[in-house]
Amino acid sequence: MSRLSARELTLAYEDRTVVRELDLAIPDGRVTVIVGPNACGKSTTLRALGRLMKPKGGAVLLDGTSLAKLPTKRIAQQIGLLPQTPVAPEAITVADLVSRGRQPHQSWWQQWSDADERAVTEAMERTDVAALAERNVDELSGGQRQRVWIAMALAQETELLLLDEPTTYLDIAHQVEVLDLVRQLNHDRGRTVVVVLHDLNQAARYADHLVAMKEGRIVASGAPSEVVTAELVGEVFGLECVVVPDPVTGSPLVVPGAPWRGDAGVPAQGDTREDTQEGTATSTAVTSTPGTAPKR
Amino acid sequence: MTTAATTKPTTTTTTTTSAGYSVFRARRATFLLHRRAAAVGAGLAVLLAVTCLAYLCVGESFVAPGEVFKVLTGRPSPDELVVGTLRAPRLVVGLLVGAAFGVAGGLIQTVARNPLASPDIIGISQGASALTVGAMTFGVTSYAVLPYLSVVGGLLAAVLVYVFAWRGGLHATRFVLIGIGFAIALRSVTTLFMTKGDYLVAQQAQIWMTGSLNGRGWAEAAPLGWTLLVLVPAVAWAARAQRTVGLDDDTATALGVSLNRVRLGLVVLGVVLASVATGAAGPVDFVALLAPQIARRMTRTAQIPLVCSALLGAVIVVLADLLARRVFSPTEVPVGVLTAAVGAPYLIWLIIRSRTVRSGGRA
Repeated sequence: MSRLSARELTLAYEDRTVVRELDLAIPDGRVTVIVGPNACGKSTTLRALGRLMKPKGGAVLLDGTSLAKLPTKRIAQQIGLLPQTPVAPEAITVADLVSRGRQPHQSWWQQWSDADERAVTEAMERTDVAALAERNVDELSGGQRQRVWIAMALAQETELLLLDEPTTYLDIAHQVEVLDLVRQLNHDRGRTVVVVLHDLNQAARYADHLVAMKEGRIVASGAPSEVVTAELVGEVFGLECVVVPDPVTGSPLVVPGAPWRGDAGVPAQGDTREDTQEGTATSTAVTSTPGTAPKR
Repeated sequence: MTTAATTKPTTTTTTTTSAGYSVFRARRATFLLHRRAAAVGAGLAVLLAVTCLAYLCVGESFVAPGEVFKVLTGRPSPDELVVGTLRAPRLVVGLLVGAAFGVAGGLIQTVARNPLASPDIIGISQGASALTVGAMTFGVTSYAVLPYLSVVGGLLAAVLVYVFAWRGGLHATRFVLIGIGFAIALRSVTTLFMTKGDYLVAQQAQIWMTGSLNGRGWAEAAPLGWTLLVLVPAVAWAARAQRTVGLDDDTATALGVSLNRVRLGLVVLGVVLASVATGAAGPVDFVALLAPQIARRMTRTAQIPLVCSALLGAVIVVLADLLARRVFSPTEVPVGVLTAAVGAPYLIWLIIRSRTVRSGGRA
């Protein structure tokens, strides 16, 4: 079953169509990862699933109703979304920022309930930022800040959670930490999670359901072990590679072809440019020294 | 939700949360109050009271605080005329104008996400000026009519800026830049009117445009007070709406905020407040720019504290007018001259500082 789905979804920026008649069903209670090369429309699709972008054609359906017909606050009670580069107000404390995730459950005369208090405390504990509660978000490291944003999205306590490249700008240890957290959330609460990821290997490791996109269309979808093949990577990313089982998880591991090595046996010549030619025009420098031409 | 919470429906309790807020409970309703902002607000209220007292005492003739209290409580006093008829209404106008500018600036800065934005920079004061000065050159000189014209002028300017800045949504930077463009254009329109009009009109317009409280009586104070009173519930709404508008567009939308609608509400409220204040005292420069930013630095809140901003705006205008009356006595200078003298250096500092922060922050 899927509460969230897209039907014949067409998305465009001004006149440039990015996603064309896309059909997509997000399986409930699973981790869905959308992958694809740069500009394939994966983030745009995620934004549309979270009503940050209005479809040009088709619709995103939540429990069968088009998002366009639902009040935005009601959507926010069901779908949480962490954008790619969220911006915190200047000088906001961690606890204050996380507590704003409760917005969709509050109103002017109910600004802070016991449920709000509990959700915020829990979200901060889960993401391991409780100790930073009184600190300013500006002062935190990239990894800490990302955890704070995730805490805010968690505090929203939605059944569906959409994350747009949550591992960007993080080092590998923090990337793993964030993805493990996502898995854990999905496991403990049965929350449906949709993540856009850049790294195909991470996607294969963490996804229950993998969606591969290219040029605004879905090329393949299903379990990572079925989807990730050398053939598909070649088709979607234009990359030559070997797919082997991950030594730890057994999930498919993409190993790209051998790195470029230059002409075998010829020593590097990059530093042999003569000082006398520094001042001359670049065109003459190139033509007069064929032996030291740039490697390109 | 639980029955335990409703067993004692009339009790009002307070608890503290970790984010620096206190929670007030009254029946099932709960309200958040930023503790530091509350303390700063109380301090500013005391400061404002002292400033107001000083304002009523000091002048061409000094009136003892005891006599001032007599007048305020309606008891007979020989200083009835000076305090009750001359100084008090002028004080009230200054107070309200300052508070209105303080809130207006805060709202505009929130929507523009820019501490440099304020009604006197994005064209609202200039729109008010253009229409008012235009009317003056066509022979409308009554202070019973001019305030309304300046409200209309401010609103018209705001509509123009909003429409031109709108492209499927409101982009904060575009909003400020287009506002600055309109401010410049409208200022030249005002200049055109002034050169067209005769000398006396030009002089009156000049004083009005600098922002002056000279000669303001109860006739000006009363409508201003009523208008602002009506707007108080809207400000209470705005104070809460600010919490999410300060986040980036995507995050705010994801939290279920109808951004364009909320922003429009905040801008309209800010523009109305600024226009009403401009109508009463002319564009008193820099108050709307200064008050919100200073208030925010004092409270260390993530959004502009509107009540503190209002109190600080009132303190600034009342204090500036007190100085404007006395420093060059017997000559009186318009209050706008003094606020500009303090505000302009602050603006420059703000620009310099914001640049260093931005280049340093991304490294």
